[in-house]
Amino acid sequence: MSPGRGSILRRRKTKRLKVLRRLLLRCVSIVCALTAMACGSSVTSSKTPSIPDIWGVWMGLGGVTDADPRFRNVPFPAPQFTEWGAVESRRLASPITPGECNPWSPVMFMNGGGLFPIQILKGPNVIVIHHEAVTQPRRIYMDGRAHPAPDDLLPSFLGDSIGRWEGDTLVIDTIGTNGRARPINGYVAGAVTSGVDTAPRLPASDQLHVTERIRLAGGGQYLENEITVDDPKTYLKPWTVKRYWQRRPDIDLQEYACTDNSRRDAEGQEP
Amino acid sequence: MKLRTLALVATLLAGQPALAHHSFATFDLARDLTLVGTIKEVQFTSPHVWLQVLVPNARRGQTEWSIEAGAPGMLLRTGWKSTTLKAGDRVTIVTHPARSGAPSGSLVRVTLADGRVFGPGGPPSPQPSRH
Repeated sequence: MSPGRGSILRRRKTKRLKVLRRLLLRCVSIVCALTAMACGSSVTSSKTPSIPDIWGVWMGLGGVTDADPRFRNVPFPAPQFTEWGAVESRRLASPITPGECNPWSPVMFMNGGGLFPIQILKGPNVIVIHHEAVTQPRRIYMDGRAHPAPDDLLPSFLGDSIGRWEGDTLVIDTIGTNGRARPINGYVAGAVTSGVDTAPRLPASDQLHVTERIRLAGGGQYLENEITVDDPKTYLKPWTVKRYWQRRPDIDLQEYACTDNSRRDAEGQEP
Repeated sequence: MKLRTLALVATLLAGQPALAHHSFATFDLARDLTLVGTIKEVQFTSPHVWLQVLVPNARRGQTEWSIEAGAPGMLLRTGWKSTTLKAGDRVTIVTHPARSGAPSGSLVRVTLADGRVFGPGGPPSPQPSRH
């Protein structure tokens, strides 16, 4: 037996052992990693509750007489106006509807009326809410940012909205409205049911600050939004309402091109 | 289907929603006027659907009425299709007429020749509560 062959065999054996050892180490590290991940995820889930399933299409329950009474939307309260608010309320009570195709205020957007559905979608750093009859969506920024400084705010119909999760509740804070949106309770208020157009309109001024607390209700089949309106230009003190929607996966939002066939003359409205 | 439609109309008559696209105060909401005529055109458009209806008048001619319903989505969710009515269809329409006396109004209900009844669009019936 030549010494050379024995040496080659020893080297091969050593190499096999090294490969085995590397394989073993790799297995151990994978197991460790998996264990760590499992441990990590269980720790994370115990600290951060899962985000509730508020996504999809919801139909408001305003004016729906046969809705579950626990979730039926009732008319807005009659808040106390400031002097300016009272004058503005009377101005908006006209049967002539100005700017009917403009976007709504964030409060009227979330009025929970039974005529139009909303759709809530989740993006990487934003929650987007569509309303069938409003051509602009609400964008709720969820990345922890603050509102822009007053000089950097661009006043808009829907305002600037930032959101955060407090447990199972989505809390949305909105400022930066332009004060030109239609009244919070619409241009019809109680007219269709009462036949008269005398309900006080609830204006939304450029001082509007809205806080919303959105959570699931009724075993997840309903959505509740506790809306607090703080508008010192219009109201003497803040007021709060709750609005409800029913989950409706059977409904799709339809297109609503508001300026397509707006026949103001035939309605007796100003053109 | 017919029962469901009638139930819907009853619901609408009992209490229409307090929020709509704009004020309907230019229509006399306390007055119901019945028109019997022929559909000239259906405008299944936003923001509201319009029915153009030819109605015989006292001068042995025809007056074209413009009858306003709800938004297309509202109608779809309450049983309508964009093809439910077409030109030439005979209809009986109950409307809240314009206060101005112009030949226009808001739709209360339309009855087709086959007896089906459709409303102006409103909330769809809620799903039964599971809790």
